[in-house]
Amino acid sequence: MNARRLWTVARLELVQRARTSRWPLVLGAWFVIIGLVTFASWRAVRESNISSGPSLYDVTTFFVLALGMLVVPSLTATTVNGDREHGVLATVQTTLVTSWELVLGKLLASWLVSLCFLATALPFLAWAWIEGGLSIGRVFLSLLVLVLVLAVVAAVGLMFSTLTARPVASAVLTYLTLAALVFGSLITFLLGAVLLTDSVTVRVNGVPESYWAAQTEPPVEGAEPPANGGIPQPTQADCDVFTRTQDVSRTDRLWPLLAVNPFVVVADAAPSRLADGGTFTGGFTPMRWISDGSRDAKAGPRDGDDVVDECSYLAPAGSTPNSSAMTDDAFERAQAARDAAALERRNAHPVWPWGLAFLVALGLVSVLVAERRVQTPVRRLPSGTRIA
Amino acid sequence: MSSADGAVANGGGIVVERVHRAFGDVVAVDDISLVARPGEVTALIGPNGAGKTTLMLMLATLLVPDDGSITIDGYSPVDDPREVRRRIGWMPDGFGTWDALTVREVLHTIGAMYDLGAAESRIRTDEVLEQVHLADLADRRARVLSRGQKQRLGMARALLHRPTTLILDEPASGLDPRSRIELRDLLRGLAASGTTVLVSSHILTELQEMADRAVIVSRGRSIESQAVDGATPVARTWRVAALDRGRLVAALREVGANWNDAGTAVDVLLEGDPQAAELLARLVESGAGITAYAPLHGEMEAAYLAATEDRQ
Repeated sequence: MNARRLWTVARLELVQRARTSRWPLVLGAWFVIIGLVTFASWRAVRESNISSGPSLYDVTTFFVLALGMLVVPSLTATTVNGDREHGVLATVQTTLVTSWELVLGKLLASWLVSLCFLATALPFLAWAWIEGGLSIGRVFLSLLVLVLVLAVVAAVGLMFSTLTARPVASAVLTYLTLAALVFGSLITFLLGAVLLTDSVTVRVNGVPESYWAAQTEPPVEGAEPPANGGIPQPTQADCDVFTRTQDVSRTDRLWPLLAVNPFVVVADAAPSRLADGGTFTGGFTPMRWISDGSRDAKAGPRDGDDVVDECSYLAPAGSTPNSSAMTDDAFERAQAARDAAALERRNAHPVWPWGLAFLVALGLVSVLVAERRVQTPVRRLPSGTRIA
Repeated sequence: MSSADGAVANGGGIVVERVHRAFGDVVAVDDISLVARPGEVTALIGPNGAGKTTLMLMLATLLVPDDGSITIDGYSPVDDPREVRRRIGWMPDGFGTWDALTVREVLHTIGAMYDLGAAESRIRTDEVLEQVHLADLADRRARVLSRGQKQRLGMARALLHRPTTLILDEPASGLDPRSRIELRDLLRGLAASGTTVLVSSHILTELQEMADRAVIVSRGRSIESQAVDGATPVARTWRVAALDRGRLVAALREVGANWNDAGTAVDVLLEGDPQAAELLARLVESGAGITAYAPLHGEMEAAYLAATEDRQ
């Protein structure tokens, strides 16, 4: 492979794009739109007592990914069959440019264009970082994953541009593939979660049925109904560990469907966490929500060794029954303990490495297919395809 | 043995042997064999759909033949496509170009694709632009070029890396008369410097003037290959007009000529130019007062029409 020839192909593609499209206008519009969305996000969260950085960051990153998935296919999905239609592909194929140089040069050009869009969004990501609540490591990791995902999107478009004769067909197929990854995976997961259930036995630290049965008294006619429906509020002293059989969705078997979703991969690679700068992250943080949901799905239902604690919100032992359940401090301690347990479980089940591996494999297969399709001399010409 | 034949014997030029290529049920090239010698312009002529363009795509390393063999300067386009690409300059019918680039940028890009250094690419760009008379348009965007100017740019592209073999599919298409003359002179000059030139065209009168050899193909088969040097006898029709039509007809009957009435003139089918010269002398002697005596078709056209007569 010759770097100069590869760059010649990429440069040719970039110059053609830059001169035939209104890229400055498109980039300007992109800048304004992201600016408006970021500003709106900032206005929405700035008065709360939490860091607005993660919200701004999540919204901007997702917006870049969403628009990137709209724009990048329009660049790559017509690159090879468009050249063939204009009669310039064969001109390149009869030079010393190899099929690998041709494919990788076109991929590089499309990727660079998508990175221009990402670069345009960087000021807003920097704004989010300045707002606080984000670690620089997190920013770099999610940007790295985003850059790779955009390259995969470009590769898929490139593949379809070699598989179909008409640019319109390849563009439609590329968008359908991306829609399948984004929406199809989610819909299939949700349907699967409803259909794929299992009965599991879980150990519970909670208030047993016997407690409620013992406390149930027949109502006295004409008497004032007591508070709490006549049943004393249990305390932690009333809790016991017992087993319970319940139906659960086997999301631990379905999570790969979520993992292939580019939004899940980007979100899960570096979601905002409690540990980020020690600042509590709340508010509108879609990346964290998606990450938590996908990791919980991967972890699946708790197995028999885990104990589901249903007592942590109850008043401690020694409290008067029917008194207020918990003090604020106790509630916060219980909440913190539950959060820590959930975080530990989620940290043990990251989804993004699998998803990224799948997407990278998809990108590599796409490039391999594209390379094979532009090899010359051609032995079998697909029907409806002209070579020159 | 001529120097061109010697070069072919040493693996130079284009040698096509019994090549076959089909697309599904459609046989584009059935059985074509030809030799294009270095230092000569070889014309590939045939009706539409005869398989000329398909053959050229195989020569240009774009298509694999189903059967048969091809060598260009001794290299196979199937087994050694890179070596062939270094040596050939290919100009397709309907040359497409990158419309957003200037003429000079198109050639610089092509130069980089042929591994020409930046300085060499600049020098060659200027040279070929002069050769194809496009120097004045060097900094114009390709999209503003006329069809003929784009054809000339395609020619410049094919010449840029100094190929030893030129494969030109309808290069004169869209050119004005002056440009056609310039193209003819350019190809003759390149052939004189040792380049192998294979050119297809429908404009037989021009090929007659530029080609050394003609290969006629029809229905995917090469059916005739002959030198275009005037020495090879070509049967063709001559139109004869005279002041005294009666004496003219009498003289034709006397010599036993095969003739047809053509209004005020007559058409006579003759085997070759020597027979035409002999007949003219006899007609002049007859005192018919010959006012016109000319072949209806050029040699190549006549050969082409005879070879493709079965299509009618």
